[in-house]
Amino acid sequence: MFADSRFDYLDRLRYSLGFLTAPVYWVADTPARISYWIDDVFVSHGDLITENERLREELLFAQRELQLLAGLATENNRLRALQEASANVDGRVLTAEIINISSNTGSRRVLINRGATDGVLEGQALLDAHGLMGQVVEVLPFTSWVMLITDSRHGTPVQVNRNGERAIARGSRSDVPELELEYVPDTSDIEVGDLLVSSGLGQRFPKDYPVAEVTSVVHDRGQPFATIKAKPLAQMDRTRHVMLLALANNEIERAGQSGIAPVWTDNATNRDGNPLGIDQQIDELGAETLEEAVNPAPETAGVDEPVPSEVADILPDDPAGQEY
Amino acid sequence: MHQRAHANWVIFLSFFVAYLLAIVPFPEWAMNYRPQWIAMVLIYWAMALPYRVGIGFAWVAGMLMDILEGSLLGLNALALAIIAYITLSLHQRLRMFSSLQQSGIVLALIGLHLMMTHWMKIAAEQAVASNLLFLLGALSSAFIWPWMFLVLRQMRRSFGVR
Repeated sequence: MFADSRFDYLDRLRYSLGFLTAPVYWVADTPARISYWIDDVFVSHGDLITENERLREELLFAQRELQLLAGLATENNRLRALQEASANVDGRVLTAEIINISSNTGSRRVLINRGATDGVLEGQALLDAHGLMGQVVEVLPFTSWVMLITDSRHGTPVQVNRNGERAIARGSRSDVPELELEYVPDTSDIEVGDLLVSSGLGQRFPKDYPVAEVTSVVHDRGQPFATIKAKPLAQMDRTRHVMLLALANNEIERAGQSGIAPVWTDNATNRDGNPLGIDQQIDELGAETLEEAVNPAPETAGVDEPVPSEVADILPDDPAGQEY
Repeated sequence: MHQRAHANWVIFLSFFVAYLLAIVPFPEWAMNYRPQWIAMVLIYWAMALPYRVGIGFAWVAGMLMDILEGSLLGLNALALAIIAYITLSLHQRLRMFSSLQQSGIVLALIGLHLMMTHWMKIAAEQAVASNLLFLLGALSSAFIWPWMFLVLRQMRRSFGVR
């Protein structure tokens, strides 16, 4: 057990045992698949027509928004090119289905029906139609475990969409699946109803995906930081259809090396061949070293902790900090 | 020995069904009441056939459970091996007990199992310390035990597993 948690040479054993357990999942998932099949087959003609109409309308709306988005994206890219920053728009996704949830009360994890044979890699982000859900923490041959962002050991780097204020959203320890913003100063400008998007600082999640909506802000004068809670936008316990986001190229290299890649490499270029902007490289370096400093033991795969610099300066010695 | 007398597949089938039941998703509120199917099936076979289902068997069964749950490799294996050891040392007495007494023993054993896995998870930083509501799983296991005992014994007798 110790060996499994500290080193990774048991991964191969775990992986091969995964072949044995695959049929159990397959059988356990059969009722759900049969019910979906029945829903698909035994449906009336009229229902199909109305559904078709509704979907067509939705598609029309979506296409209109996409046209606007395309314009915005090119404009954005042009502006970024002016600053010699990289165009970080990547649309490749892999659809997946949630086939099981962890029976473990202490952690919030789900199992998806894509594994190493589909090219899933550790660290890939999982989305549903409404927002960010989590990241892949363990890859088995035909399935993978995904840690949800509401897991109490998971931290998501976010920023407020309205004004760009950064924070870390940690899954709450209570029974309610929600997020808590950590180490946010009392003076910060965060209000109820604010949309939190991923900030991309952790090098794990892509930038600007919607994560959560702030539900309560409590300023307690006895506490050094504000208590801010947020509700995740992804439908954690209702959805079955999800998307896996493809990793960026440099992330894939890092996964292959199975170690922390040096940040100052010769090929510090993005996939368009443009050299990375200097401030972005500094940004990467800052996130990497801070992550090392704050969380020196890399035992928990789910916790990615890019502490924004202004927060890191006032980070207290937290006695409970060990049991994330 | 007669070929039929082995009937390994009955044991494997019962474990397969137990694995299925163990990973069937439960609603959030019922999570704590989830019976420990693997541990119960293991207790039954260790009691009925102590010379075939022992600590090694329990270790392998726990290992598979770890893979299924996605928990630390060896966590359930250790806990189940300890359960199997206690059951093996008690099996002569367990067979004599009434079903109510057996349920009491199962309550204690499953409670121990849940407690051990919980402690190990906390020690390995896989979970955070929470309240003791998860021990309700032992209660539901003890409640189900008499019926499961009847079903498994019927299976064992009709297929002649010895």
